[in-house]
Amino acid sequence: MFYALTVPGGVEEVEEVRVLEWHGQVGRVFAPGELVVELETHKALVEVRAGQAGVLRRILCAEGDWQAVGQPVALLSDSPEDPLPETADGLAALAVEFEVS
Amino acid sequence: MSADAPAARVKLFFREAIARALREEMTRDERIILLGQDVGDFGGSYKEFVGLKAAFGRTRVRDMPVAEAAMVGLGVGAAAAGLRPLVSITYMDFLMLGLDPLVNYAAKARFKTGGQLTVPLVVKTTAGAKGQGVAHSQCVEAWLMSVPGLTVVAPSTAADAYGLLKSALRAPGPVLFVDHKRLFPTAGEVPADEVLVPFGQAAVRRAGEHVTIASHGYMVRVALEAADRLAGQGVSCEVIDLRSLAPLDLDTVAASAGRTGALLTLEEGQLTCGVGAEVAFRVRERYDTVKLARVGALPAPVSSNPVLEAACLPDAARVVAAVRRLLKS
Repeated sequence: MFYALTVPGGVEEVEEVRVLEWHGQVGRVFAPGELVVELETHKALVEVRAGQAGVLRRILCAEGDWQAVGQPVALLSDSPEDPLPETADGLAALAVEFEVS
Repeated sequence: MSADAPAARVKLFFREAIARALREEMTRDERIILLGQDVGDFGGSYKEFVGLKAAFGRTRVRDMPVAEAAMVGLGVGAAAAGLRPLVSITYMDFLMLGLDPLVNYAAKARFKTGGQLTVPLVVKTTAGAKGQGVAHSQCVEAWLMSVPGLTVVAPSTAADAYGLLKSALRAPGPVLFVDHKRLFPTAGEVPADEVLVPFGQAAVRRAGEHVTIASHGYMVRVALEAADRLAGQGVSCEVIDLRSLAPLDLDTVAASAGRTGALLTLEEGQLTCGVGAEVAFRVRERYDTVKLARVGALPAPVSSNPVLEAACLPDAARVVAAVRRLLKS
């Protein structure tokens, strides 16, 4: 099964973020709790950690790219063999934990 | 909207546009120094000065005590003696303590000395309401646009924050640069190459036919939101971002209002002796048939209670209602 990693909502005032750093390349398996990506807001860093296991399959927003809250930045799947979907539309959201610093 | 916009643009947070302007200008001109509270290691209350102390050192980026009159006074003296200080006053309310050196010394020095002494000082401050109560929310730029010799600018976009601040850091006389708390969460496209935004040039943010809305700073975003809603009701609004309050680009506003036949001014500050009163009167002097209306804060201090804060301030709904009333009048 495929999941979309989306920009977490609920960070005060934030409508849009910039991708600062990916912690792993396509193909990396993330265990729950591992740091996947750091996002930059107008005044803070948001560390996004995997809330469930998954394989990073496609990065939609490279470092330096902008994305709106709720929109996808990457696709992950349960298994590395799952065929890539055409778009992130309709995919379940990957469970994440995030911390604002 | 600069006259010849270059093709390449880069998206920046509002704070980054300010930092970039300072970084470029401080690199270009070693006389520029930065004075203010938390401007050094902390990087500014809105992170708009991040990296400047590391790049330019503690001699040029100096943290100040909570003493606004002294900060502006030091800035005026340093400017008269040959430096180009930018004094950061965290909130515009606190600038009241620094008005004596700004108004009585900086703005008048060139006149008093027959042009022998100039004060190339920039005072940057953050206006506006955002949950912080009566003495941390005010927009008093209208008080200052009447001071002869003082330039007052108020950007509403990251690109203008960048371009106007660069112009301010090269200007011969004192400049008050007013940004807004609610602009800091925003981001916008900024020219990739160095571009200055000249003083005294308004920008048409949206072209329209039925009514002209003139505003500045954060309220330009409110005007654009209202214009969007009114478009759905068949009302076409032209939205003008004044950008510069002194000097004021009356030509752009008057030409638009003369064509649409109706002018609504919008500001977050008080209506009495406000920016809108000045703009509307001067437009009326040129076109005596233009219909006029003003929208601004209610005549009350901005409460720290969020419900009362919102009740006091203009929003898109209030602008929509005011435009409809104006067009029916």
